[in-house]
Amino acid sequence: MPSLKDIKTQINSVGSTKKITSAMKMVAASKLRRSQEKAEAARPYSSRLEEMLSSLASSAVSGEGIIKLLTGTGNDQNYVVVPVSADRGLCGGFNSSINRETFKLVKSLEGNGKKVQLMPVGKKSRDFFNRVMKDQIIESFVDLNVSSTGYESALNISNKLQELYFDGKFDKCILVFNKFKSAISQEVTQQQLIPLDVSNSEKEEGKENSSNAIYDYEPDEETILKDLLPKNVSIQIFKVLLESDAGEQGARMAAMDNATRNAGEMIDSLTLKYNRTRQAFITKELIEIISGAESI
Amino acid sequence: MATISFDLVSPENLVFNDEVGTIIVPGKDGDLGILPGHSKVMSSLRPGRVMVYSEDKNLIKSFFVSGGFAEINPEKCIVLAESVVEVNSLEKTSIEKEIQELENKEGKESEEQLSVAKAKLEAINVNYYDKI
Repeated sequence: MPSLKDIKTQINSVGSTKKITSAMKMVAASKLRRSQEKAEAARPYSSRLEEMLSSLASSAVSGEGIIKLLTGTGNDQNYVVVPVSADRGLCGGFNSSINRETFKLVKSLEGNGKKVQLMPVGKKSRDFFNRVMKDQIIESFVDLNVSSTGYESALNISNKLQELYFDGKFDKCILVFNKFKSAISQEVTQQQLIPLDVSNSEKEEGKENSSNAIYDYEPDEETILKDLLPKNVSIQIFKVLLESDAGEQGARMAAMDNATRNAGEMIDSLTLKYNRTRQAFITKELIEIISGAESI
Repeated sequence: MATISFDLVSPENLVFNDEVGTIIVPGKDGDLGILPGHSKVMSSLRPGRVMVYSEDKNLIKSFFVSGGFAEINPEKCIVLAESVVEVNSLEKTSIEKEIQELENKEGKESEEQLSVAKAKLEAINVNYYDKI
């Protein structure tokens, strides 16, 4: 049986852990609000861009040059998978679910005879894939801090991807990231980045086409499309980074909230144990005294 | 007099959103003056000034954009720009320094940056369109 002093030390240590986790929860909550605002502020741009793109997509005819971002290379042999994780841990299943999902995806693609390369974003996925698939990593991006550096960080990734794409290093690029659903729930999502997947916006396209048909294009549709496509890649990455950042803060908040609650429960049960032990101790002493007095 | 709604959007935020009288945007093939009731146009932009005027033709604000797109219809004008700065907040000396640094560099990327920086300098120096 642990001594009273042991239990007391344990209570104190759990208490200080609780203080830390509740502080982290508070920090995550305030960061979450900021990230959410950022993600929200970026929305008008990306939705406008998507609208423009979907109205232009039909005019893409030739599969040469930049248009390849839309039409693809015609192959689907080489893949690049980009898992987007956080740089730091202590946010529940946030990072491990990304890693698990990516790992599964890579294995299933390889099972179909495809060649897969990785481009992890964030320390946690880089470290994970450095351990399990080191030779497949072509590039990694860490310490992005998207909430402070902004669009610049997305541009780096996008430039690297496009450089590789136009060198013919890969045919398809898939992003794996945590989609921000609400402050407490994130959803692991796969999104095909290159070639652009217009199928999900096709529903709106039907009704939009009628209103967009009378637009004048300056200089012409193809030139605009050529400008638009690389921008769209960057903006999609930017959007994903922001969502993932907001998701990370949300996940951390939830994880820390849980940890704080668990620590509270643990303190309660330890205090109970402490009191019981103390009582048992007193009873034992009393019995000793009484039996000592009786024997005289 | 009629007004047209104008949105200036950068990837990070919505920079400007209001009802205005006239807008001038730097289209790729030449500047476009946009008044309420403009026909539907989609244009890509070159680096340059986006000028916003009130209904009585007074300059409200002028922005520098590093390129982007404009979508125009009779009621609304939307400019999507990658980087947006107010022309007033640009500093001549720092841009001149930037140009000097970029001129010594080779490569496609710095060439692009150079043309943007030069356009920035021009945006500060010129004053046509200040009064329309």
